[in-house]
Amino acid sequence: MNRIAANRPAADFPDPPLVVSNLRKIFGEETDAPIEVIADLSLTLGHGEIVSIVGPSGCGKSTLLNLLCGLLPRTAGEVLWYGGASIGMPERVGYMLQKDLLLPWRTALRNVTLGLEIHKMPIKERTEKARKLLDTIGLTGFHDYYPSALSGGMRQRAALARTLANEPEVLLLDEPFAALDFQTKLILENDMAHLVRSQRRSLLLITHDVEEAVSLSDRVIVLTHRPARIRAIHEIDIDVDRTDMMAARESPKFNQYVRSIWSELEVRHNA
Amino acid sequence: MSTSQQHLAAKPAAETPAATTASPVARRGGPRFRTMRRNALVFACQISVLAVLLLAWELATRQSALNAFLFGSPSAVWGFLVQMWKDGGLLTDTRVTAMETLLGFVIGNVLGTLIGLALWYSRFVSQVVQPFIVALGSIPIIALAPICIIWFGTGLASKVAMATLSVVVVALITAYKGAMSVDIDQINLMRTLGASKRHIFRKLIVPASLGDIFAGLKLTVGFALIGAIIGEFMSSSEGLGHAIFKAGSLYIIPKVFAALVVTIALALCLTYVVGKIEKMLTPWRPH
Repeated sequence: MNRIAANRPAADFPDPPLVVSNLRKIFGEETDAPIEVIADLSLTLGHGEIVSIVGPSGCGKSTLLNLLCGLLPRTAGEVLWYGGASIGMPERVGYMLQKDLLLPWRTALRNVTLGLEIHKMPIKERTEKARKLLDTIGLTGFHDYYPSALSGGMRQRAALARTLANEPEVLLLDEPFAALDFQTKLILENDMAHLVRSQRRSLLLITHDVEEAVSLSDRVIVLTHRPARIRAIHEIDIDVDRTDMMAARESPKFNQYVRSIWSELEVRHNA
Repeated sequence: MSTSQQHLAAKPAAETPAATTASPVARRGGPRFRTMRRNALVFACQISVLAVLLLAWELATRQSALNAFLFGSPSAVWGFLVQMWKDGGLLTDTRVTAMETLLGFVIGNVLGTLIGLALWYSRFVSQVVQPFIVALGSIPIIALAPICIIWFGTGLASKVAMATLSVVVVALITAYKGAMSVDIDQINLMRTLGASKRHIFRKLIVPASLGDIFAGLKLTVGFALIGAIIGEFMSSSEGLGHAIFKAGSLYIIPKVFAALVVTIALALCLTYVVGKIEKMLTPWRPH
């Protein structure tokens, strides 16, 4: 498997961050027309791993994320965070969506402190922490801007800083860069890879962008059409610095992975 | 003109803040200057329309195309305004009505907004009370006037009650609507950050509802005034409604118009103040 996961001192948490087994979700079970969104899904996210889930549009990727966070009740199956059956959102998990969901009445800084405020960190401490975080994430000088005055990329950076402020060990991201232009996306992917790899966090990324999935992850899980099952699992073995998205994209194996995943996605032309 | 230069100067950098276009520097020909000029033009047109209407009215009564007794005339209205100002009635009546309106406006909005927001807490309770709210909201406010006077007397309290009643249901509904229209993803995000229901309410629902609440405030300024005036019509010894009612009963039409002008001015003032407060309390919103 990947080198970083092997290096991690996993002694403090012997169980992997996330184990999903036989997860199933049916919407409207009690009605005449129940919709089965997820048929049967099992996966494991190891320490320090980056795993991407790709699937055809409308296959229930976002539903999956909400199930993992406990924001939706599941029909069957098990979600184990660090080996314990968790109902709600575990403390050590951060969550981020395509929509930045910044609160428009708070400045970038105060958006980042939101989670710390909820956890009752003293104001001086949390402000300092948020300022540092915004600086490392490339928002120096924009701390006191309202979201409406920031560009899309900057807003997504602020959202990432807010997610990181609670120091999650696992990040769950749902198409976090989908709304950004190509350049900004690539820069943010690099930053994300760096943040995750250097601090040995784990990352579960849900995306429809196959190239993003391949360049960023250790493993790519391909889902089928609704109801979603696992169609294929690819261990991505690209022998370059995995925090450099351009290098990954230039690797000869990159195209092979992308092509085979594309063919598995069963892109329907009438969709 | 300078627009082409601006286009050339604009850098295609992906991450320049969107705020650059809203530069606070008001250059000649800049967007800010253009809005100012446009606002001035709109205002000038508004004044002209008013002047033409008043002039037509004045001329029509002078040429006896309109009966001056039935329709008054701008000059007669002005005469009464001056007279009311001199005998102090104008100030007293305005103060009385303004007080009734303001008290009713504040009490009604505080009560309505608190209840409306609180209903967010429990879907069950809000479903239970919904028909009652609709029922209350459908009562014509004038139908409540006699009861108000019997319960609260003929003084200030009954008018405040009338103003409150005409405000409270609207405030409740707008606040509730604001609270319920908060993005579910935003609520989920708060939950993933570890927020309790109380946190979500205080840090998300209340500030997110401010837009709707202020829309309600602007709407209910007028409603409060209507409530107060109806109360004064029913039974009173002072206030603008009293002045209108009395002048009307005595067929002094220009005086009715004079009191009406003051009422309109009062409504405009109150709306203006609410707008100012909104700008102060929601600095993040583009106004």
